Amino acid sequence: MFAMRKIRWGKYIFLMLVAGFVLVPMFATVLGGFKSLGELRTNPFGLPDVWEFEYYAQVFADGSIWLLMKNSLIIAFFSVLLTLIIGTMTAFTFSHIKFAGYKYIYNYFLIGMMFPAAAAILPLFLKIRDLGLLDSLSGVVIPQVAFGLGFSILLFRSFFEQLPSELFDAARVDGCSYIKFYWHVILPLSTPILATVGVFVLVASWNNYLLPLLVLNTEQQYPWTLGIMQYRGEYGIEWNRILAYVTVTITPAIVFFLFAQKYIVEGLTGGAVKG
Amino acid sequence: MASVEFKHIEKIYPGNVHTVKDFNLKINDGEFIVFLGPSGCGKSTTLRMLAGLEDISGGEILINNKVVNDLEPIERDIAMVFQSYALYPHMSVYQNIAFALKLAGLSKSEIEEKVRPVADMLQLTPLLDRKPRALSGGQRQRVAMGRAMVRTPEVFLFDEPLSNLDAKLRNSMRTEIKTLHKKIKKTTIYVTHDQVEAMTLADRIVILRDGKVEQVGTPREIYHSPANKFVAGFIGSPAMNFIPVELAKDEGWHVDIAGQKLNLLGDVDDNQTDTKATLGIRPCDIHITPDLLTNPLVIKGTVENLELLGSTIQLTSRLGDSQITVEAPSSHMVNEDEVTNFYIDESRLHLFSDQTGLSMYKPNAVLE
Amino acid sequence: MSNEVTTIGKRSSTSSNQNVSRWFKKNNHGNRLLTLVLFLPPALLLFTIFVILPIGEAGYYSLFRWNGYGEPSQWVEFSNYVRLFKHGAFDTAVWNTFKIILISLVIQLPLALIIALSIYKKSWANSLFRLIFFLPYILAEVAAGLIWRFVFDGDYGVMARFTEALNTDTWYILADKNWAFVAILVVLVWKYFGFHMMIYIAALQGVPKDLIEASKLDGASRFQAIWYVKIPLIMSGITISIFFSILGALQTFDLIMPLTGGGPSNSTHTLVSYLYTFGITRMNVGFGSAVGVVLFICCVIFAFTYQSTIMKDKK
Ligand SMILES: Nc1ncnc2c1ncn2[C@@H]1O[C@H](COP(=O)(O)OP(=O)(O)OP(=O)(O)O)[C@@H](O)[C@H]1O
Ligand SMILES: [Mg+2]
Repeated sequence: MFAMRKIRWGKYIFLMLVAGFVLVPMFATVLGGFKSLGELRTNPFGLPDVWEFEYYAQVFADGSIWLLMKNSLIIAFFSVLLTLIIGTMTAFTFSHIKFAGYKYIYNYFLIGMMFPAAAAILPLFLKIRDLGLLDSLSGVVIPQVAFGLGFSILLFRSFFEQLPSELFDAARVDGCSYIKFYWHVILPLSTPILATVGVFVLVASWNNYLLPLLVLNTEQQYPWTLGIMQYRGEYGIEWNRILAYVTVTITPAIVFFLFAQKYIVEGLTGGAVKG
Repeated sequence: MASVEFKHIEKIYPGNVHTVKDFNLKINDGEFIVFLGPSGCGKSTTLRMLAGLEDISGGEILINNKVVNDLEPIERDIAMVFQSYALYPHMSVYQNIAFALKLAGLSKSEIEEKVRPVADMLQLTPLLDRKPRALSGGQRQRVAMGRAMVRTPEVFLFDEPLSNLDAKLRNSMRTEIKTLHKKIKKTTIYVTHDQVEAMTLADRIVILRDGKVEQVGTPREIYHSPANKFVAGFIGSPAMNFIPVELAKDEGWHVDIAGQKLNLLGDVDDNQTDTKATLGIRPCDIHITPDLLTNPLVIKGTVENLELLGSTIQLTSRLGDSQITVEAPSSHMVNEDEVTNFYIDESRLHLFSDQTGLSMYKPNAVLE
Repeated sequence: MSNEVTTIGKRSSTSSNQNVSRWFKKNNHGNRLLTLVLFLPPALLLFTIFVILPIGEAGYYSLFRWNGYGEPSQWVEFSNYVRLFKHGAFDTAVWNTFKIILISLVIQLPLALIIALSIYKKSWANSLFRLIFFLPYILAEVAAGLIWRFVFDGDYGVMARFTEALNTDTWYILADKNWAFVAILVVLVWKYFGFHMMIYIAALQGVPKDLIEASKLDGASRFQAIWYVKIPLIMSGITISIFFSILGALQTFDLIMPLTGGGPSNSTHTLVSYLYTFGITRMNVGFGSAVGVVLFICCVIFAFTYQSTIMKDKK
């Protein structure tokens, strides 16, 4: 009994330590934005003695942050939309049309999923340039969709295959063609998996840095990930401003996470566990 | 008004799985046909070919004398009820029933006009706004039927529609289906492997085995004059007793069972040269007392085992090398290990050729 | 004579037309073929153009010296590769990538497993811990990188406290050739262990309770129950998390840029940040492609060994 309790205590102390390791940098970031540089130097982690609001205010001052967020949102929105549409369409051909040789094409998508996007980043860049997509949001969206396809097709297909086959028969007798079945039955029944994949693509797109870095040149088009790096470049080691900026930019993601926790966790790990 | 005709239908699945072999059947308008057979014999496959859910590998299917091989399911004027009901989980009962009409492009009011009476007939009106998951098994079953009926098709197809229900509900749904059929008089094909369902529902039963038709006939014909040994053994519970016998002729035809001679009074198929045959007697056609029988055949046997089943007793007895089962009213007194006389109604004897399995005997007495 | 030939030709062509139309009729029930023609090409095209083709092109371009304009013309055989393997910074990048894999396997995954084992049961406190530990994973790498850049700043962050306490000179760890990459590894563990923990938790929650109870009845200690029952039962989760962590390690980039940008003196590059710095920013298409090919080959080798060893064990 005594030993048991000891283990309990040890466990909680260990968990608290890890939680501290995770949270302290985050709290320091949030609070850092309220401190003057001088205070930040002497008191990096504690509550500020004097709460300064100007650094947070300055983040919003010229309004550029809204543009960054808007761009990120547009990119994410269209990435999610296209991935869901194209992914479900393709998965549907594998799960229900089952044309001759579909397994080879399915494996083709799966194999592509194993390979690192970064390996072919230079030819990809040239391709985007040659297609005239450079410096446009679609230049980010389209390759991003292409890279998310393998994973989403895998998840969609296994979901569609689990639907009872009699559902398809019943719909055929009721007068559905393949397309109508996809539209009236498959899609409405797939909301859980749509949410899961959608969240996965959304988070990946929102956080993506390399692809926008490659494709976008004008600040008007930047998503927030590029904006934040630029802000850092401008203000160098004025950490209070930068921390305020970081806090502002990561807030949407955290709020979203707290709200859509279930789907996020499933989207990011669910595929792994199921696949 | 619709007749259905299968002409030399074949089904070969990929991988050369020959599932349905030369299936021929003509179904009259308004008839209630039941496909009955062991699992895997091709009942569903045949039905699905008729529905247009499965390619037809060979032959022709005609509905109303029109070849439908290349028609879409919706163009065949059929409706189908599935084993698992296959209700659309995301739609309410109303939407489930209305879906086909919506696809057909009917207006909202037209749909309403058609759905209401069907829902009334099936007592679904209070449930119309519910999702399928909030329904009991029997209610789901009714929704599935409503979905089929609302389109007023010419042919109804059922694929084991009751097999997911518990025994009690199955009985009441069976009666409901029967009543419905009487009311709307539409051609119906019903797949099952439950004999009781087949016997009670069918105008004619089609017995299938390994993708081949074994016999087509009214329940009475199937039960009393099985065309072959398979049908005889498949229909009836407890199953028919089969006793290997030698067939011989002196003054008339007779068989020998364990040294006892049984005279056959009816017509033995003279074309059969085979002397080895199998005698078939249903357990309920063997009696322990001669009451009620006009001219019974008598045979001696030892009671080996005795089970009281309520209103009947079931006993097993040995006749030479073979064991027979006898069913008798439980009012009769017999004891285990007793040697007793069994009385057999000669008009209920069956005889099957060992070479072909076909029935080779017609008893004299005309069946009631 | 010629007349006959043409009629024969005609006949056979009409019959083949008939065959085609019969085949079409038979296979197009419910507009099956039409749907296929509509539904499959978008993904197939996108995927081929943006994922598969570039990999092949990388192999081709890597044999040229080329700045990306016009056609690649200056054929240099394997000299890009030769240059690559002679470049010290590339060696470092490969080593660093390898270190990431090692740390993932030796520290990150066991840590994630231990935590998962202690909080996988459903309770209020456990959910809170789970939430906290998973939080870093959803932060963007660049944001996480900046946060830790502050923490590691010699004048402000944790390092300032640290050196203050030890009373030594300020230590800019991210500018220290010997230690910068260690700092990066800390951030990597911080960022990703929660993800692997979630995989394990999902797997552990799928383990039937009666199995664990049975092992207790059989007299297994807590440790034995974990080692002989739980871990074997979540092996599929573990193989998947190993797969993800190695594939992720091979592609580490976003975190490097805000933390060190590959410096000091190219000591903290990974394969991808190396590719970015020496291939993309300088538009050395041939050279950069050669790096990509090496990365690709690493992945292929990994994928195959993974398939033939770990996945095989599973079956
Ligand atoms: N898609 C298919 N591919 C290959 N063989 C199939 C396919 N579908 C069915 N079969 C085979 O065809 C045979 C007949 O199947 P069917 O479903 O018609 O049987 P059934 O009589 O309805 O049996 P049950 O009473 O079990 O429903 C079975 O042996 C089955 O294995
Ligand atoms: Mg069946």
